[in-house]
Amino acid sequence: MSTRDLVLAALFAAIIVALGLVPPIMLGFIPVPITAQSLGVMLAGVILGAKRGGLAVLLVLVLVAIGLPVLSGGRGGLATFFLPTAGYLVGWFFAAVVTGYCSEHFVDRSQNGIVQIAGFFLAALLGGVVVDHLMGIAYLAFGTGTGLATAFLGDLAFVPGDVLKAMIAALAGRAVMVGYPLLPQRA
Amino acid sequence: MKSLHVEGDTFLHRLPAGLKLAGLAAVSLLLFLLHSPLLLAFAAVAGIGLYAMLGLGWRNSWQRLRVILLTIVVVSVFTLVINSPVDAAAVFFRLIALFLFAATITATTSTGDFIAVVTTAAKPLEKTGLITASDIGLAIGLVIRFLPEVLDRYQAIRDAHHARGLKPKPLTLAVPLIILTLRNADEIAAAIDARGIRSQK
Repeated sequence: MSTRDLVLAALFAAIIVALGLVPPIMLGFIPVPITAQSLGVMLAGVILGAKRGGLAVLLVLVLVAIGLPVLSGGRGGLATFFLPTAGYLVGWFFAAVVTGYCSEHFVDRSQNGIVQIAGFFLAALLGGVVVDHLMGIAYLAFGTGTGLATAFLGDLAFVPGDVLKAMIAALAGRAVMVGYPLLPQRA
Repeated sequence: MKSLHVEGDTFLHRLPAGLKLAGLAAVSLLLFLLHSPLLLAFAAVAGIGLYAMLGLGWRNSWQRLRVILLTIVVVSVFTLVINSPVDAAAVFFRLIALFLFAATITATTSTGDFIAVVTTAAKPLEKTGLITASDIGLAIGLVIRFLPEVLDRYQAIRDAHHARGLKPKPLTLAVPLIILTLRNADEIAAAIDARGIRSQK
């Protein structure tokens, strides 16, 4: 891994942390404020690709583990990995890697804008929603002894918000690709 | 960024970080194998005792623990409604115990000690050729170094929105933030290489 890639991953980790510290952003058509941190995870995959995006999220998780309050709401410390929701947190890493891998394969500079956005959206959906939620559900069902069915139902409440974040990640991913073409997709 | 570490010189502060983490892993495994609410309640009381050894006082402890305590209560109530009261009690005490053990280790271990453990633990990763252990320490340092700049930049972009009478939207905030931040990567990388901080090519 080149020094530049290492720096990119570290800077993106700082962005993900910053997105958790800023006040939640209200979206016009949903009454619930969204925390932008899981958006940051999808963005890491979409913008940096699997390797660097995965490293960026891994760095955030290491910061959590070593006791810095870097998660939204000032959460942090080892305790966060023992909560029933820890599956979603650990799932971030896999979400970023899957989103990154898919982005690298779905999106090409030669495609037109709509296709690129669709490719990024699909990648963010697969990683940030499917992979992350599956891991979250699996650990929720095991960690609390709640049945799989119940964990699945509880999870559904968060799906619409995350689908929306995948859309934002796709639009932002394309905008960054156009606005900063010096950032190669490959790691 | 203020760490959750608490300065002190208790017995727990002096234990090596690696030992504490290994202990936590062993205890968590044990607590997940136990299902008796009574035994788990003992574990929770032990956790409270351990955390009390830090001598933080009620007010400070509450400030630190309340967010996660709330999550634990929500999950326990959820379990009570769906499963049985016995299950709910087991879940509640197990999570309280784990949470307090983990919070105690977080409070008694400095960031530097943790980074040393992470670096040692990452040694096997070097064989994969993806990253070296010292890179992880360097990257963690970079994140902590550049976080304030990213936050300042976010604030500046938000102010720019207000100055132009625009409503801040996730997309119009995130895109300039990302481009402006990542554009620094080349300079930072060049500075790191110029100082020979990374020994390999």
